[in-house]
Amino acid sequence: MKLYTLIAFAFLLSSATIKTSTPVRTSVNYDQLKEIIEKHDDKLYVVNFWATWCRPCVEELPHFLEVSRSYDKQAPFQMILVSLDKAELLETEVAKVITKLHIDNDVYILDDNKRMNYWIPAIDSTWSGAIPATVFYKNGQKLHFTEGQLTKEELNTIIKKHL
Amino acid sequence: MKNITLLFIAITALTLSAFKLVDSKSKPTEDIAPKGYAIGDEASDFSLKNIDDKMVSLANYPNAKGFIVTFTCNHCPYAVAYEQRIMNLDAKYASLGYPVIAISPNDPALVPEDGMDEMKKLASSKGYTFPYLLDEKQNVYPLFGATKTPHIFILHRENGKNIVKYIGAIDNNYANPDDVTERYVEDAVDALIAGTEIKLTSTKAIGCSIKDSRKKK
Repeated sequence: MKLYTLIAFAFLLSSATIKTSTPVRTSVNYDQLKEIIEKHDDKLYVVNFWATWCRPCVEELPHFLEVSRSYDKQAPFQMILVSLDKAELLETEVAKVITKLHIDNDVYILDDNKRMNYWIPAIDSTWSGAIPATVFYKNGQKLHFTEGQLTKEELNTIIKKHL
Repeated sequence: MKNITLLFIAITALTLSAFKLVDSKSKPTEDIAPKGYAIGDEASDFSLKNIDDKMVSLANYPNAKGFIVTFTCNHCPYAVAYEQRIMNLDAKYASLGYPVIAISPNDPALVPEDGMDEMKKLASSKGYTFPYLLDEKQNVYPLFGATKTPHIFILHRENGKNIVKYIGAIDNNYANPDDVTERYVEDAVDALIAGTEIKLTSTKAIGCSIKDSRKKK
């Protein structure tokens, strides 16, 4: 019995050390988010703004995830999901969708409600604030912005163009 | 470790503040994005069915000094969060000449909760004091350029014309009415009443996109 516990413990330890890239699930403010998506590391960042209550958002998530998974882990590409749910829903509603859709991308809750009038136009001057919305960055440069749904094909086309 | 990284990110974020300003005119506009009104434009009148089955137009309000045209709906969590505040706006400003005119822009075929019967139920349970109109043909919201709910357009009557004076959010905190620090709509209407300049004529906030089957998927 003790041996089993020990083995299980050892296994847990090793898997914990191997899996260094556990997906992020945390809430951030806009300044923190900006740093995350505008990194100068030659990676293409695909940043999707969504919410659990937003039907068209949840509708497009599965093919976003499909596209994300179709790229090699080594590819200079990262898809980040930014939820606009209330921060306290991270462990409940948001976690439910994460589990249901097997999301292994980093998921942030943008918890900066009172400054919407600042960060919405900062992300894109044409963004009305309706979601879904998706923005593409590389080396701190915004390459593309879409308000509204993207099809799998459209998403792939934009990514291929900028990868 | 993550926390330390985040803290580091936060600190560096504070030191970096430059963000790009993008000229919206030089960008290709989305084919789905309606042009809509800009500040200073004259808004056309409309005729839409109210929850009492009567048609409502701005012309039905000969004594109004203006309007708080509010695109909202039943189902959207942001719209729900603002229900009471929209009622408060009408309670405060209708008697001062600026009634709320609420318009539901969604296609009930796509969102059944936003159908006329559901609108009637909500309005009667809440005790709406203002018209709650359904944009049945979905041809009024694109005219205004509404893209989401809630989306407010404040109109001011000048020489019989309804001039757009403010476009945007109600205030700066949908989640907590007790922690609102900027009351955009109230400030704008107060300025119109006082005859002074509106400080913020447009604001942005997250909202639910308007559900329209004609939009590209």
